Amino acid sequence: MARSKSPDPPADLLGPVTGEVSWFCCGTAWGPCSSTGKGACGTCNSGSLQHAWPNTSDACWSITRPDRCGVGLSRRTCGFRHRTTALCGGASVVTTIADCGPQTDLFCGERSCCGATCADNRLIDLTPAAFSRIASLSAGLRPCEIATG
Amino acid sequence: MTSRRDLLKSAVLGGGATVVAATALGSLGPEAAFAETAYDAEPGAPDPDFAEGRIRTIKDDTLLVLGSNMVFHTIRIVNGTSLWKLGPVPFEAAKPGDGLYARGVRMPDGMLAAESVWLNIVNIKGHIKNITDGKLHLDHHGKEVLCHVVPGKSVAIQAQAPPTADLSMLKVSQHVQILGAWRPDTNEVDIATVFSPH
Repeated sequence: MARSKSPDPPADLLGPVTGEVSWFCCGTAWGPCSSTGKGACGTCNSGSLQHAWPNTSDACWSITRPDRCGVGLSRRTCGFRHRTTALCGGASVVTTIADCGPQTDLFCGERSCCGATCADNRLIDLTPAAFSRIASLSAGLRPCEIATG
Repeated sequence: MTSRRDLLKSAVLGGGATVVAATALGSLGPEAAFAETAYDAEPGAPDPDFAEGRIRTIKDDTLLVLGSNMVFHTIRIVNGTSLWKLGPVPFEAAKPGDGLYARGVRMPDGMLAAESVWLNIVNIKGHIKNITDGKLHLDHHGKEVLCHVVPGKSVAIQAQAPPTADLSMLKVSQHVQILGAWRPDTNEVDIATVFSPH
């Protein structure tokens, strides 16, 4: 399958981007998470400081398709570091890519806010260990800023 | 300024969980509590101040938890610890068999003094296969998860709208994210929040 082109230039090459952050489980786990496996990089664990990124490969991009939401993101591969900063409160965490995701196009145009501070589209998923450094897991979804770590 | 983490640590080292009163930790909302924390840990590596697993036994104020990686964790609950199980709950709501994620301060003896414990929390994505009598049948990675609407607890957040207890806008084949509490040893979840983009 031919790769769909990302809008040029990718927004994250020009500086930090804002978007939504959620969390996902991976690795050995309990409950519905027990079948999720160790992610596209083969290293993902819920207890480690890691994240999923929508553009880790052509195959990944063909699933996540942030371009359908008008967002271009750079190709970054396993182990690359991003810093995610919660727009609610300002806490941040540096994590490494361990999986492909989130599936941005399925939530196109979704918006999360903290008061008047909002961000659109799901651009990153953190492991529970990482997300719980910047917000409560019970929040589920938060606006954030993403920069290289 | 003494941080929430410092208070937790000193309380546990001081020999008593009851030393820490909730008021001593301040009336921090979740975002403020997370904003004040600062740790050193290697990106990509296991977080020493985090634990996951299932509760094996509960003794006094301590949870003995077997991690999914077969590593045991001892987790101490103090007065300032926040516990979640479909919503804020008291310590008595924690039961053997519950799954959990916990964040806190790792003490020198390896015990985790807990700031927050999330019991049975799951955050799963999938598409709605069917809706029957207060239940969403969710296809999650090819497996069905039966998600129960809990009156007074379950809310939906659709697009930019505020949370609502009216879940009637959810439709079959829609893609959603469900934050909820797993019913241990089943494929069933009680819904806290359904996030839907449209």
